[in-house]
Amino acid sequence: MASDLLTPDLLRRLEQLQLLAQRRTKSSAKGERRSRARGQSVEFADHRNYTAGDDFRYLDWNLYGRLDRLFLKLYEEERELPVRIFLDASESMAFGEIRKFDFARQIAAAIGYVALCGFDRVSVVAFPDHPEEAAVRGALRLVRGRKSALTFFQNLHQLTAGGSADLNQALRRGALEARQTGLAVVISDFLDPSGYESGLNALVGRGFQIDLVQVLAPEELNPGTYGDLKLVDAETGFIQEVTFGKFRLKAYQQTVQNYCQRLREYCQPRGINYFRVPSDASIEDLLLKRLRQAEVWK
Amino acid sequence: MRFLSPMAFAFAAAIPVVVVFYLLKRKRVVKLVSSTLLWQKFLAETQASSPFQKLKHNWLLLLQILLLALVVFALARPFLAGTAKETPLRVMILDGSASMQSTDEKPNRFEKARAEALKWVDGLRDNEQMMILLAGATTQVKQSPTGDKAALRRALESCAPSDSPTRLAEALKTAGAFTFEKRGEAEVASGEIHLFSDGAAPDLEEAGNKNLPLIYHRIGQGGRNLGLVALDVKANPENPSQRAIFTAVANTFTNPITTDVHLLFDDQLLEVRSLTVAPTNTEPLVFIAPQNRDGIFTVRLTLEDDLAADNRASIVSRMPQPVKVALVTRGNRFLEKALRGPPNVELTVMPMLTDEAKAFDIAVLDDVVPVTWPAVNTLAIQVANTNWIERRDLIKNPAIVDWKSTHPLLRFVNFDNVQIAEAQAIKPPPWGIPLVESPQTPLVVAGEQDRRRLVWIAFDTLQSTWPLRISFPIFMANAVEWLNPASAESGALLVQAGKPFHLNLFEPVSSAKITAPDGRTQNLPIEAGTREIIFTDTSRQGTYRLQAGTNETLFCVNLLDPVESNIQPRQELPFGKYEKVQATTLKEANLELWRWIVAGGLMVLLFEWWFYHKRTV
Repeated sequence: MASDLLTPDLLRRLEQLQLLAQRRTKSSAKGERRSRARGQSVEFADHRNYTAGDDFRYLDWNLYGRLDRLFLKLYEEERELPVRIFLDASESMAFGEIRKFDFARQIAAAIGYVALCGFDRVSVVAFPDHPEEAAVRGALRLVRGRKSALTFFQNLHQLTAGGSADLNQALRRGALEARQTGLAVVISDFLDPSGYESGLNALVGRGFQIDLVQVLAPEELNPGTYGDLKLVDAETGFIQEVTFGKFRLKAYQQTVQNYCQRLREYCQPRGINYFRVPSDASIEDLLLKRLRQAEVWK
Repeated sequence: MRFLSPMAFAFAAAIPVVVVFYLLKRKRVVKLVSSTLLWQKFLAETQASSPFQKLKHNWLLLLQILLLALVVFALARPFLAGTAKETPLRVMILDGSASMQSTDEKPNRFEKARAEALKWVDGLRDNEQMMILLAGATTQVKQSPTGDKAALRRALESCAPSDSPTRLAEALKTAGAFTFEKRGEAEVASGEIHLFSDGAAPDLEEAGNKNLPLIYHRIGQGGRNLGLVALDVKANPENPSQRAIFTAVANTFTNPITTDVHLLFDDQLLEVRSLTVAPTNTEPLVFIAPQNRDGIFTVRLTLEDDLAADNRASIVSRMPQPVKVALVTRGNRFLEKALRGPPNVELTVMPMLTDEAKAFDIAVLDDVVPVTWPAVNTLAIQVANTNWIERRDLIKNPAIVDWKSTHPLLRFVNFDNVQIAEAQAIKPPPWGIPLVESPQTPLVVAGEQDRRRLVWIAFDTLQSTWPLRISFPIFMANAVEWLNPASAESGALLVQAGKPFHLNLFEPVSSAKITAPDGRTQNLPIEAGTREIIFTDTSRQGTYRLQAGTNETLFCVNLLDPVESNIQPRQELPFGKYEKVQATTLKEANLELWRWIVAGGLMVLLFEWWFYHKRTV
């Protein structure tokens, strides 16, 4: 299962991780997550009075001995956790010496793999839509079981970045489409002129537990081109003339810092985990340290 | 609105330079980026953040502060104080004489003097005034006292040197009138007179110093000059059909100088003669040339020396006309013979004169009192108690004690061994100057009245030993020459630069026009009935053409001044016997610095522009 996205060693280590759900899952399919539903499992949940037709196997005979009344033992039903990964595949993600999109796919692959190993349902929503990749994207909409991991990786690998994305619209649509809420992972650079607030609000309002990974290219954090520049936006074609010198580098970095800080400050009160990561950063460091520390998984 | 320094508008020429800088199109590098969102936010934050920010170390800021400081410093008009003390009025006298055209200073002395004077104008303080005088043949007030520097500069720019000799006395008198003020009984100097000159001024003795607050700025370093200092034309005594042109060349340099001397007649070269003049010597030269018509003789030095104005001189020479002389005598063979001596004399001897002798050029009255006084130039011998001469007494054996050998009448005439039996004592007439004197009375008087020349001799020549002496015929020849109206007129046709030209008219004219050597034509104002034309604008040497009515008269203006030709600058100006003013180099003018500061500011501005672009790239 040699994947171009993740190394075998990393996959082995990921297998030992388990996604942490802060809420009980509302999924209807069986899995390994605690849910509000009662069913068959080893986790005792409650007692209820016996009614005619109940399965005798679940009668609490010890209680009957003490109280001389019949009570039925109830167990928690274990269901799967729907993990929905929103992957930004717009043109802006295709930039970077190490492309932001490549890095984002690695993160998506890792989270998906951890979820698959935990018998959770994984759904990857790549936006904007690319009609020519409809088959691949359709296959990524619903992936279950560890055995599907290889296909999952292959499909992820076939995704390409291009076009102009509307982050808000993509998130809103994702929130509406989901039948059950669960874990939503949004991987993007969040450099959308129309913002990100309404999209994230829709996810939060729908009841998703959200992890947000902002991937930025090193060139965006620390531009190396100086002088009189005519900058062309790859997505919108917008032209911005700027005279940039080394003496203004700190001011630019401060601007980037402020932008990210605003995103962080937006996430914090809404219970959204926020991670900012440059595309040339170590994937192991992000997956095995930072996500673990943030209790995305354990 | 007025401007103190309108020339400062010349700095407006720098504006196009700045515009050109901004016209230079900035070449922008096109770069594709993932998103311009961060850049837009960056520009918005850096351009429109809070109105104030913490001051950061920025070289551009320092350069702009330096530039502003320089501009403010220039506006404050700083100056380096010279040694000159503050005074309410400075009278600047520019010597505009011919010697100031000397090229020993570059480009010439006058330009150097002008530049020096302009420095003083630049250093003029707000509470000081200045006045500009140009001293040529006459003194012109170019600018009355003012503190307006632009007007002073304009006045200095309008000054130009002339070909005339220096006349500083008049300028100093004018300047003195402005620089003294009365405080009670005493006159106190309230200003300074700055004289920019080479000091070649012969008339200072008459000016007298009178404690003038005079500062003499010596202009010139001394140079090589050979100059024509005399020019005259006479009939050749040995051949009346030829003319003798007498000239003198002076060398004021310390080394001998050799040159070619050209003689031209109406601009046609007649003769070339090589001449070497010893240091500080004057070398006379006589050319003999035939003449068959009226014309102009020109003497020219081919040498290129430091003063060109004295290298050429011209003189009008007319064809000799017979001189008609009427001798009224009771018989004087000596006199008759002496009068027949000079060439071209037509002598008529008569015992008595009954009319005004208008048919003659000269009347000679030998001890005869005429019924009517002649209307022509007259030589009168012992004719007294007339309207012209008042007799007092008779003197026996008067001794001749003095005679003016410089007068043209007494040229080559010596009275050493002349004895006189008796002479008439007269009251010296106001129109004449005594030429030969005894202790009691003048013996020979010459002068001019009513446009007539008169020579009066106080004794009977036959009652003296004079006719036996060689000086007698020479004197008579001189007298005929001096009294000849034609020669008097031709003498008037040679004018020294700066001096007025007189022309007597036989009958009044309605208009007169003069053409200067440079071709400029000028109409002269003529008063009705006037029989004299006076033209004063003779500052340029050369040949002038005067058209008076139907007559045309040529006259020549020349420098011919040995003092002016001596271009060695004088270290001191002598005022009389006891006073003198030394040339000074200490009275330096204040030096304004704003021009240099503005130039520095411009350099800073250019550097700032370059530095800005270097930083952004």
